[in-house]
Amino acid sequence: MIKIKKSEFNKFIENLQKNYSVFAPVKDGKATAFKKIKSAKDINNKILNTKRSPKEIFFPQSEVLFQYTEKGMEVPKREEKPFAIWGMRNCDTKSLLMLDKVFGEAHQMPKKDMYKDPYWKKKYDNCLVFNLACNEPLSTCFCNWFDGGPFDKTGSDIFVVETDENYIFEAVSDKGKNFLNDCKITENASDKEIKKIEKLKKTAESYLSEKEDISSLFSKTKEIWEEPIWDEIAAKCVNCGACAFVCPTCHCFDVSDEGKGKKGKRIRLWDSCMFTIFTKEASGHNPRSQSTQRVRQRVMHKYNYFMDNYGEHLCTGCGRCVIICPANLDIREVIKKIIRY
Amino acid sequence: MIQNLRTEVKKLLKDKKVNIVIGWEKGSLPLSSTPLFIQKLEDVDKLIFDETCRNNFTTYLTKDKRKLGKTYDKIGIIVKGCDSRSIVLYAVEQQIKREDVIIIGVPCNGILEKKKILQKTDGKEILESKIDSKNVNLKGRDLDITIPLKDVLCDSCLTCKYPDAPVHDIFIGKPRKEVDIKDEFKNVIDFEKKSSEERWEYIKEEYSKCIRCYACRNVCPACYCNECFVDQNDPQWIGKTPEVTDSIIFHLIRNLHVAGRCVDCGACVSACPVDLDLRIMNKKVEKEIKERFDYTAGLDINEKPAMASYCETEKQDFIMG
Repeated sequence: MIKIKKSEFNKFIENLQKNYSVFAPVKDGKATAFKKIKSAKDINNKILNTKRSPKEIFFPQSEVLFQYTEKGMEVPKREEKPFAIWGMRNCDTKSLLMLDKVFGEAHQMPKKDMYKDPYWKKKYDNCLVFNLACNEPLSTCFCNWFDGGPFDKTGSDIFVVETDENYIFEAVSDKGKNFLNDCKITENASDKEIKKIEKLKKTAESYLSEKEDISSLFSKTKEIWEEPIWDEIAAKCVNCGACAFVCPTCHCFDVSDEGKGKKGKRIRLWDSCMFTIFTKEASGHNPRSQSTQRVRQRVMHKYNYFMDNYGEHLCTGCGRCVIICPANLDIREVIKKIIRY
Repeated sequence: MIQNLRTEVKKLLKDKKVNIVIGWEKGSLPLSSTPLFIQKLEDVDKLIFDETCRNNFTTYLTKDKRKLGKTYDKIGIIVKGCDSRSIVLYAVEQQIKREDVIIIGVPCNGILEKKKILQKTDGKEILESKIDSKNVNLKGRDLDITIPLKDVLCDSCLTCKYPDAPVHDIFIGKPRKEVDIKDEFKNVIDFEKKSSEERWEYIKEEYSKCIRCYACRNVCPACYCNECFVDQNDPQWIGKTPEVTDSIIFHLIRNLHVAGRCVDCGACVSACPVDLDLRIMNKKVEKEIKERFDYTAGLDINEKPAMASYCETEKQDFIMG
């Protein structure tokens, strides 16, 4: 493990900017988000869970897939420069692995690589992820339910711990190893400092609420699919898409064609299963016309269908939806209700 | 007050005057409340009413056909002033029958705006809160501050003329004395003084934050269309991107659609996950309606809606001579 002094942080970021476009948590008006920074001074390492999740860097809310004129079709040019994301938290780095299963991995389709999403893949392969440990998780964090944690390294290239005086770096992936080998930081973290990390980790974990045993969640959701409990769960929901849009793992999208005269473009846009139009068919029939059906769909996708398809829950316990829900429909309570039903 | 409220609700349920009562219970986060749908007597004791009771629950009466208005014959609903005005709106617009709803008014001293509070805590998380008649005390790790309530109330509450349900069947507690609000439209008047460039810049910047989650629409009691115009896709009415040119059309059409119907409950402002200033345009339209038609929404059950009636004395300056 190597380290830099906090006073050297700005210089470190400036060096990083030479080869990478750097995204980091910043204040964005009254909100917080991951944005491409101009200067190291914009970075705010105190921000824990940004209001908008960093999935938008890879999977923007609206993305032009291609545009056309009568002469032909072209894919808009995208920035080729590799980019680095500083200050992601474990709940967000884990979400990238989940999204990569959907967009980046070859599925069992007739042709190999057939359904790899080139837009996602290019960005994901081109990215260096710095995971900053959470010294003070929020009371809404429940990453521990999903085997994540404030000091978990899953999904990152380089794991970073902020201590009183230093930032301590540890390579997690080969990409991270290569970066740290090349970046000329020579100062090693002392044994004392490594012990300090253990202490910080223990303190951070003590801030989290009690871990819920969710081992029965998958089977339980399937068993109760037709039970009236869903009406009870969904009663409060106002069916807005705020939860899905701040969620780091929700990835459903809509495709919209915007044409005028002889030119136009095809755009991919975030969508949410909370919206009535999400499942409305061309015939006018809507298989999920009721709010209860839509709330059930969201819960089922997170805690059942994704597990069925990819072997894990589609939730990292970041708690953004808990904070944002206008009706205070707390997903943690929903999970508890299901498990205990 | 709260004991009287609980006793009254129990009585209504026991006497079978209502099948269900909608009220508030303590939420899962500090300073939060959440809807409580009471059908069993044992749930009555969960009822609360205080400065955290943000949501306007009248939306549950009309939205999405499965909702309560379709399921139950008689609904009791606990309301603040703004909530009761939404119910009047529904009755006027024939979305509910007035006699199907028992309106239980409670005295409202204003509701806390969590967003204003978070601006005062320097990013520190609130873990505990205590509210007394004048202040709110917030505690967290390295956080212990006391803020006067008036500094962190919703903007709508600060200019609210009708804190006590103007229309109700039962009123619990002591109504607030006559409120004297002179500068109800101050934010609009100040905004109108700016140059058109400045106004456009402000509106453009605000609406460019929109992520099109439609939380504002979905918590709005006046937005109950079975199919919203943004959900029309055959043909598609408006662009779906979060670009300001698309978002602004959504917001401006919504502004006009709630003209003379918005009761300024502030639910949209509190629900917006990206903190955009949704109130300025709604209040502007409200002011316009007040000046042109001398109309305030949600006060009188026998009134005709401003946009659905005509009177000779109305201002007609749009007719070019």
